[in-house]
Amino acid sequence: MAPTGQLSSLRRTTTDICVALPALREIDLFIGGYGNNITKPAETTATQFVVIEDISCSPWLNGNVQIRINTTDYFQNPDVTNMYGIPGMASPYPRGAASTLAGTTDQLLKSFDLYPDVYVLPGQTWQILYTTRDGATAGAGTAQVVSAFVKYTLYDGPDALIANKLLELGVTINPNNVDWYKRSLIEQQVAAASAGASA
Amino acid sequence: MSMRSQIYEWDSADYGAAVALPAPGRSVSIFVGGFGNNITKPAETTATEFVVVEDIAITPSASSGATAAASEYRGLLAGTTTIGLAGPRAYVQVRINTTDYFLDPDNVPNDGIPGAGSPYPRSVNFQPSFNLYPDVYVLPGQVWDVLTVYYSATGCGDGAGNSDSGDYRAFVKYTLYDGPDALIANKLLEMGISINPGNVDWYKRSLLSA
Repeated sequence: MAPTGQLSSLRRTTTDICVALPALREIDLFIGGYGNNITKPAETTATQFVVIEDISCSPWLNGNVQIRINTTDYFQNPDVTNMYGIPGMASPYPRGAASTLAGTTDQLLKSFDLYPDVYVLPGQTWQILYTTRDGATAGAGTAQVVSAFVKYTLYDGPDALIANKLLELGVTINPNNVDWYKRSLIEQQVAAASAGASA
Repeated sequence: MSMRSQIYEWDSADYGAAVALPAPGRSVSIFVGGFGNNITKPAETTATEFVVVEDIAITPSASSGATAAASEYRGLLAGTTTIGLAGPRAYVQVRINTTDYFLDPDNVPNDGIPGAGSPYPRSVNFQPSFNLYPDVYVLPGQVWDVLTVYYSATGCGDGAGNSDSGDYRAFVKYTLYDGPDALIANKLLEMGISINPGNVDWYKRSLLSA
């Protein structure tokens, strides 16, 4: 959705209306030029680490959602060719949405869980790409609004260093394991201090 | 990215409209079957890949009790009234090389999991009764396939042999282990430990701590 006469905007307004989307075009949620956008591509600095934990989109209009890290798409076909990503039918947003805009037939549940999570390492650019195979129309009586959703955790500063360390160790990066690593560092320091005092 | 969660969704109409369905009772590959969206070659693992198939699902069916053919029951097309069923009466099977995974108790390959047991898409109306556990392993160098079949022509698509997008779909969820993680997956298989991202991580940690 965007203000009248525009395809995208940086701020939501109370007068936003539905905008049309082309079919079969991958649209970046962040800077794709449709709907609510942000000011620059999503990227991690040298002291940041992002873990993408869930993606979903509207199930109607054959919507799909894909993750791209730098120039590499995460989801691929078994023959290693490109695909549009997770169908909204498999990961609906919101959960419980109907499979059609009419909203009369069903209430979808998720068939797909993003596990393992997707890691965006320091210095990488990442995109969430939405594609509708059918296209979406706009206008009075023909408005077809779609939406997409991404859930991620941002680790910054020391926690990003720990996240990198966990990655080296092959340990899953989540807040619990970051805390576990901090606790183990503190226990090592305490043990070293007490050993030094007793020597 | 040596462990990656992947999916493949198949639509019998290739996300279009009014496409002829395969003949009822005919088993069709969702990858290279010649109907719906396909890929360029059969799905196979290289020497450095390991695939774990974690879920398969297909368009559901339901007993409808409809008194008129072509009426709708929970979003499904009711077949002829003598069938008493809405939906395609579809099944989905996994094949590794030339071996079908799901067998009858007499060891004869069957059609696989019914859509009523593992529906796609899942909804409040259609929830899974079947969970693919333990997972299905595709070892390095193997060819794998997912096969679909339906039996109720009057409950599928327009009831006259044609389907639109969404009338008849299948879904497979798998995890692709590549490179070192595929080697670890093989090691876990030798050890008799379930292959999942958690256990692969555990094995890496145990190597580091040794």
